Amino acid sequence: MEDIDNIEEDEYGFSRNYFLAKELGGSSKKSARKLSDINIVDEQELRETAFNIETKHEKEIDEILDDYKTKYPKWVFELRCGFGLLMYGFGSKKALIEDFASSSLTEYSVVVINGYLPSVNLKQVLLAIAELLSELLKSRRKSSGTPAKGQEALPSRSIDDILSFLHGSQSEDKDCFICVVVHNIDGPALRDSESQQTLAQLASCSHIRIIASIDHVNAPLLWDKKMVHKQFNWLWHHVPTFAPYKVEGVFFPLVLAQGSTAQTAKTAAIVLQSLTPNAQNVFKILADYQLSHPDEDGMPTEELYSASRERFFVSSQVTLNSHLMEFKDHELVKTKRNSDGQECLNIPLSPDALKQLLLDLSQ
Amino acid sequence: MAPSTTIADPQPSSTTDSSNSNAAAAENDIRPFFVLHKASSGKKSTGTVRAKRRIDSPAPKLAKKSEIESTEVEDGEYFSTLRLKVFETVWSKIDKTIQDVLRDSHSKVFSGVHDWICESFESIRSCGALSLSEAVRSYPVLSQPSSKQLFTALVLTRNLEMVDDLLTFEDLGLHLKSQGCHVGKLSSMDFSTKNGVGGCLRGLLRQFVMPTVDVADVTILASWYRENGNHNNPVVIIVDDTERCSGSVLSELILILSEWAVKVPVFLIMGVSTAHDAPRKILSANALQRICATRFTLSSPAERMDAVLEAVFLKPCSGFTVSHKVALYMRSYFLSQDGTLTSFVKTLKIACLQHFSLEPLSIMLEHFCQDNQPPGEGTGLLTEATMKHAFDLPSVTRNKITRSTCEMLPQFLLDLQRMPKPWSIVVLCIYEAGKFDKIRLIDVFCETLDPEARYLKYFSPSASLNSQSHVSGRNSVIRRVLRKLRDFSPAQLSSLLKSWESLTAEFSEISDKVMELHPLMRNVEAAGQRPGLPSSPKKHASRSHSKLEKELKAMTDKVSAIIEFMLREYMKPVETVPFNEILCYKNVDKLQSALLGDPRGRIQSDLLESYNILHCMCCSQRGTSLLPSMHDTSILYTLAQEHADVINLHDWYQSFKTILIPRNSKAKLKSKTCSKSKKRKDRCEEPEPEQPAEASIQARFCRAVMELQIAGLIRMPSKRRPDYVQRVAFGS
Repeated sequence: MEDIDNIEEDEYGFSRNYFLAKELGGSSKKSARKLSDINIVDEQELRETAFNIETKHEKEIDEILDDYKTKYPKWVFELRCGFGLLMYGFGSKKALIEDFASSSLTEYSVVVINGYLPSVNLKQVLLAIAELLSELLKSRRKSSGTPAKGQEALPSRSIDDILSFLHGSQSEDKDCFICVVVHNIDGPALRDSESQQTLAQLASCSHIRIIASIDHVNAPLLWDKKMVHKQFNWLWHHVPTFAPYKVEGVFFPLVLAQGSTAQTAKTAAIVLQSLTPNAQNVFKILADYQLSHPDEDGMPTEELYSASRERFFVSSQVTLNSHLMEFKDHELVKTKRNSDGQECLNIPLSPDALKQLLLDLSQ
Repeated sequence: MAPSTTIADPQPSSTTDSSNSNAAAAENDIRPFFVLHKASSGKKSTGTVRAKRRIDSPAPKLAKKSEIESTEVEDGEYFSTLRLKVFETVWSKIDKTIQDVLRDSHSKVFSGVHDWICESFESIRSCGALSLSEAVRSYPVLSQPSSKQLFTALVLTRNLEMVDDLLTFEDLGLHLKSQGCHVGKLSSMDFSTKNGVGGCLRGLLRQFVMPTVDVADVTILASWYRENGNHNNPVVIIVDDTERCSGSVLSELILILSEWAVKVPVFLIMGVSTAHDAPRKILSANALQRICATRFTLSSPAERMDAVLEAVFLKPCSGFTVSHKVALYMRSYFLSQDGTLTSFVKTLKIACLQHFSLEPLSIMLEHFCQDNQPPGEGTGLLTEATMKHAFDLPSVTRNKITRSTCEMLPQFLLDLQRMPKPWSIVVLCIYEAGKFDKIRLIDVFCETLDPEARYLKYFSPSASLNSQSHVSGRNSVIRRVLRKLRDFSPAQLSSLLKSWESLTAEFSEISDKVMELHPLMRNVEAAGQRPGLPSSPKKHASRSHSKLEKELKAMTDKVSAIIEFMLREYMKPVETVPFNEILCYKNVDKLQSALLGDPRGRIQSDLLESYNILHCMCCSQRGTSLLPSMHDTSILYTLAQEHADVINLHDWYQSFKTILIPRNSKAKLKSKTCSKSKKRKDRCEEPEPEQPAEASIQARFCRAVMELQIAGLIRMPSKRRPDYVQRVAFGS
């Protein structure tokens, strides 16, 4: 009864706050001042300063982290009992989780997935995990003396095949598993339902334990009951650290920075490196064209297709479109129509940034 | 594979290789994934070290690991392995019990489905056996309408959440397989419009014929069915989540299968979670005409939960139990939040896990688990330290048991092991009496666990008079049972008597009392057998009726006296018994926070009350004002509370700046012009030393906004509204 009352009260509080905020917006005159009224410092300087901000309360933050260290044995126990750990609370939990993994999980292999990056290829992750697991099972069998079964051959066909390989691998030893750390399981690269389903299926394998962090307040909406209770099997831990989101924030624009050349060139390079060589080559053609035709609106799609096809980077319009879709998703390429009505592709970077990017890619 | 790396230490480290490890860590930061380290090959030897020291803290502090002697580490290791072992023993026992209960609760439906399949299969076969060549041809088209019927079972799950029933359908598949049927399973994933009906057929062929089939041709199924005596058994296809399937694809599959119904007798089992008319909403009219549906109904989640509860806590199982508060929480979580048995079981598992990680003495549960071993032997595990812990337990000090009674310990433990039995018999007896009033076992269970309940007050003569004054007892289940008792019919009383008899059979103290009721019951039955009497005891029509009334009254009085006796003598909730901490998990807050994270509420309260977490001297005495020493994001989010649903970035920035710039220059910043002059001053880099530069304030503002965005608390400016951010969360 008490709980129900509490919930109702919370809900009431929530709606009251919401309407108060709405009312405030309606009654009082909205402030019309512009962002441009602030004398914004040079962007480069802003970035540099932002990068070097001194962390407040460093001592207290260290104390908090030390305090969490006393919970490590409990967390290990929970993992060994078959649960997944889900860390939440304000502040970057990257250092905390990796410290936990490297100090308390030395008996187990640990794979780290950086979910805060704009793109993560889950198939490659699964393959790496499958390799580790088959290695592990092999060594266990050797030590226990049971003969190896003929299932070691790793499938490399599809995500489903790898998952069924992971599910199929059995060992008597219940305490034999691989820990998968997922920083920001609610991150941009993993936010779609397909990735979450894949991760959930991975988590439900008997030899896998997941330790994940979330930062977004609505992250639980990513999962249905089956995923929460049967697959991820989460145990929640509220571990605010107040540590700065240094790495996690790299891919977010600064609110006071208008054009963001330097940053996007860097992020673009990271995104491109995660794509296939053919996709990178197609991007290079586009970039070369843009550098050599600075006055045009962009490269017509047909032209890009014929140029890429000539060099055997794509075999059909369909493959090109899939590359383009990938570029557009990560905002590497924008389309617009030129004066002739043709569809043109344009990379939204300054020529300097583009040159730097090409240089980075060729390294 | 990536080399293993050291983690970037939050503290600036002074070692020489710190730059190297930092570089490696920085590289790992931008890789989509990497292997942090591989399993170390040499496992520490465990299980040989005996504990000789205090272990009242289950988690030795790793932070001071270097200071702790190696024996202590080994001790911790030994106990953590032991704890895990006992947890596994206890949980596997509970888990097996739950599986058995669920299987039992479904067995009736399962055998019903099997009987239905057998009967229908016979009726198809009686139409006449087909030769091989006939059977694999799609022509001639069969003309009789009855031969195109597809036998379909609708299994009503009575629960919108599928998660409980995934296992049920898996079990059903296994059950039918064990009876010789060919079973294939399809889920809503197979019925996607993208793959069409070909996808389902391919899925079926892979399951029935061989895993590498890549064509979707129903004739393959037909020829497989004729091979090697396959045709002696029916083909069953289970679709567990019908409502989520694409209706058109499912309809198409039904049409195809019904065309082949005689050649390949397929039985479709569809799990329906909404209502029995769900197929009408999903399937096309054509497909609907082809199915010949039979309904089966599974038990509801609440019924299943009562059954699980009975088997786990009230029948001898693992010995593990929960306190009154935890039981109340589990009930309210089930009733008001989740409603699935899966989450109930998960809650139980978390409670069990936390019991082992919080209570050092929990390892003694191992001895409670084994029926024929007296728990006294568990005392062998007790070291000096655990002994001290054991005698410091609240239940021990409350009962004034001291270490001088140490030799009594085995006796206490034996009592603890025996105690739950009469208690659970009483609970079940009350539940039996309440069944006629549709009382749930979970309610009886929760109420009878209450260590502070005073049940006997319901029996005092004044209780019925001023029943309204008993506020605490108004919702009491036991009181409800007692009141309802007066309305029992003779038939109900007689069946209650029978069930009590079987419940108390092994416990002579209560069973003797129950036996005393028999003569009274016979009187009631004799009075009731006179012709022309209505069965209801409430009507006062004739004299003979008043005789029945009298007998009934005597009987119910006696029944209520027995209930009183049971409550008085045996209603000792586990929490009142000394050393109950060994068995009983009590920490409801920890359970709740592990089961249900509340990121929405907690992240906001982290920000608004950051000093509660940081415990810093500088910000804790701030009162209501914001101090520049506070965490930037915390300041910014507190400021955001004063805004409407959209926040003007300029204003927000200015107020942020006002907080950061020390008080003496605050006045100057009040007006816009002043703030501009301030900025000019800042840019010339001539402010007082402690004042942060403009660039630094802007950078800090940007980072705080970015952190709020990561937390999902604000939405960034859009093209349409470039100068505003939007607040997304309002309170928790």
